[in-house]
Amino acid sequence: MTWDFLVGQFATQFGLWWVIWPAILLGIVVGILPGFSPQNTLIMLLPLTLAVKVEVALAFMISLYCANHLAGGIPAILVKIPGSGGAAATTLDGYPMTQKGQAQQALVLCFTASVFGGLITTLATLALLPWLSQIGLVLRSVEMVVVMLFGLTLIAVIAAKDFLKGLIAGFFGLLIGVIGTDHIYNTPRATFGFLELYDGVPLVPALIGLFAISEALVMLEEKMIVGKEGQAKAVSAQWAGIIDGLRLSVKYWWQIIWTSFVGLFIGIVPGAGASIAAFVAYQQSRLWSKHPELYGTGIPEGVIAPEAANNGVTSGTLVPTLALGVPGGSTAAVMMIVLQYHGMVLGPRLFSTNPEVAYGVFVAMAVAYIFMIFTILPLARYMSRIVLIETTYLAPIIVLVTTVAAFGERQYAFDMALALVFGVIGYIAHKTHYHVTAILIGIILGPLFEQYLVRALRISQGDITILFSSTLGNVLWALLVLSLLLPLWRGWRQKKALAAEQFGEER
Amino acid sequence: MSSEQSSENKAPLGADLVIPALALAFAAYFFFSIADLAWEAKANGILIGTVLVLLIAIHLVRTVVQVAKRRADLGLAPLLEPRDALPRRIGLVLLTVVFIAAMPWLGLTLSLFLGLGAGLYLMGLRKRSHLIWTPFAVAASAYILFIAVLSSDFPHGPVENAVETLAGLFRAGRP
Repeated sequence: MTWDFLVGQFATQFGLWWVIWPAILLGIVVGILPGFSPQNTLIMLLPLTLAVKVEVALAFMISLYCANHLAGGIPAILVKIPGSGGAAATTLDGYPMTQKGQAQQALVLCFTASVFGGLITTLATLALLPWLSQIGLVLRSVEMVVVMLFGLTLIAVIAAKDFLKGLIAGFFGLLIGVIGTDHIYNTPRATFGFLELYDGVPLVPALIGLFAISEALVMLEEKMIVGKEGQAKAVSAQWAGIIDGLRLSVKYWWQIIWTSFVGLFIGIVPGAGASIAAFVAYQQSRLWSKHPELYGTGIPEGVIAPEAANNGVTSGTLVPTLALGVPGGSTAAVMMIVLQYHGMVLGPRLFSTNPEVAYGVFVAMAVAYIFMIFTILPLARYMSRIVLIETTYLAPIIVLVTTVAAFGERQYAFDMALALVFGVIGYIAHKTHYHVTAILIGIILGPLFEQYLVRALRISQGDITILFSSTLGNVLWALLVLSLLLPLWRGWRQKKALAAEQFGEER
Repeated sequence: MSSEQSSENKAPLGADLVIPALALAFAAYFFFSIADLAWEAKANGILIGTVLVLLIAIHLVRTVVQVAKRRADLGLAPLLEPRDALPRRIGLVLLTVVFIAAMPWLGLTLSLFLGLGAGLYLMGLRKRSHLIWTPFAVAASAYILFIAVLSSDFPHGPVENAVETLAGLFRAGRP
């Protein structure tokens, strides 16, 4: 790969602006709606992507995919309804920022973290592709069990305010996540006799119910979703809000970089995705923060970490797809179908036989991110005004439109009813302070954790020591233990310092 | 007077038991459903379910102690307050049930238009123009995005069929 080749690739991709821009706009619209994942949209648009040239199809698919990942954070920040599982962690600090009248800043942080996180990891992938493609081979089921546990420890973090309630919510979610057929014998478990649950609890109806419907049922207690101060700030939203958001983005540049790499590495592992990446990044960001107690109250780092990570995933998922021919996720699988239809043989040889496609994918991604920032940033000012819509309008629109969106993923009417059931559970959880995010983490990570655990145990014929059999796995175990002990050590040190201070004052 | 005061100060912990009760019922059903399965199929569920049951047991003990010390009662107030919002909340849930049931017959566009109109009315909106144009805008957007652009398999009803017939006539009429 020479500089001339790269420059040529960038020039080609910039020339496809007429494809990239509509794809970005469609990706944003669809990404805002929970239920319409990029893979669904791409499947529906297959006739289009199969009919055009491979470069055009790639530019379209990549731009839509990246824009979709970015847009999921918009409703998460404005109305506490994540557009996708990857944006669920964004609600933790994004929505409190909106309630404080900082919706515009939160949106700008979301956009810059997504775009620069995505852009940096895409450029890193371009430079380090041969090495990164090995990661998917190194991280096996044993190591993935520990990676999943990193995500699951976030339940304990969320549960910090009421540990018992948080854990009950998390384990309830984990048990719901076990619904469906098992990974070895395909025998159904706790499906209530519904065939629709044999594949497990679908994420989209759970997400819509726990966040969107429950939030709508709660919000109708008030006339507006933000207080008077927040309304005043939204009414007088000026470009200064965007500039302030950009200032915060520059201030937390290092946070954007390292959390986006968390997303990249997790994205490379086939099967892992934006949800786990966002949760792990949030948990790690809180762990290494100087003020972990402020997480969840509406701080910029809490928006940056999940958003940078879930866009870092976008380039990561394409690494095993192109380098090994193993799709890194469901969207990558759809892209694989399109590439194969156009006669591309995926795998290591692609880089020598069709370098313009292999590297072109990542160049297209980088160009899409550049276009995206100029498209979406000016919109933050106007988007932030959504908080001025009265709940009389918002509540029924959210409930009915998101119920419709629940149909989108699998096209089952059953999923709409399931979303409503989760909505009622989410409402009860909201009102009684059982964290819905903890339930959702369980639902998302439960099946993945079981899948990797059972696979590892199957290889070892039930010998649990396999979990400690690899060097990398043991390093990850050590880091996990460190992650759990560090907050305890910090708490102990703070208490000691406080006691010493009090003792000094008394003397 | 003092008894009234103490009853006002008591924390209503009954509502806090709803999620644990649901979780416990589900865990019981889960254990029942996996009883005859191979260990690989049930190991994870048993582990998670057992921890969940233990956590709920601790929560129950905590609640019983609070109630016994008269610091709490088993009231459900947090779920029902504020009372003025309750009819709208229940109404919205019932409306969603009707909406889901009616969509296969009415199709996406019409059911969304009617459902949203009814929802806005239920929320207390009485301005006729808002009751018509807001649902119209949302239903039309849903039709354009989901059916016209993405061609997804949402149920078709009178509106979708009429538009398709009109489009067919238009295509047939072209030279």
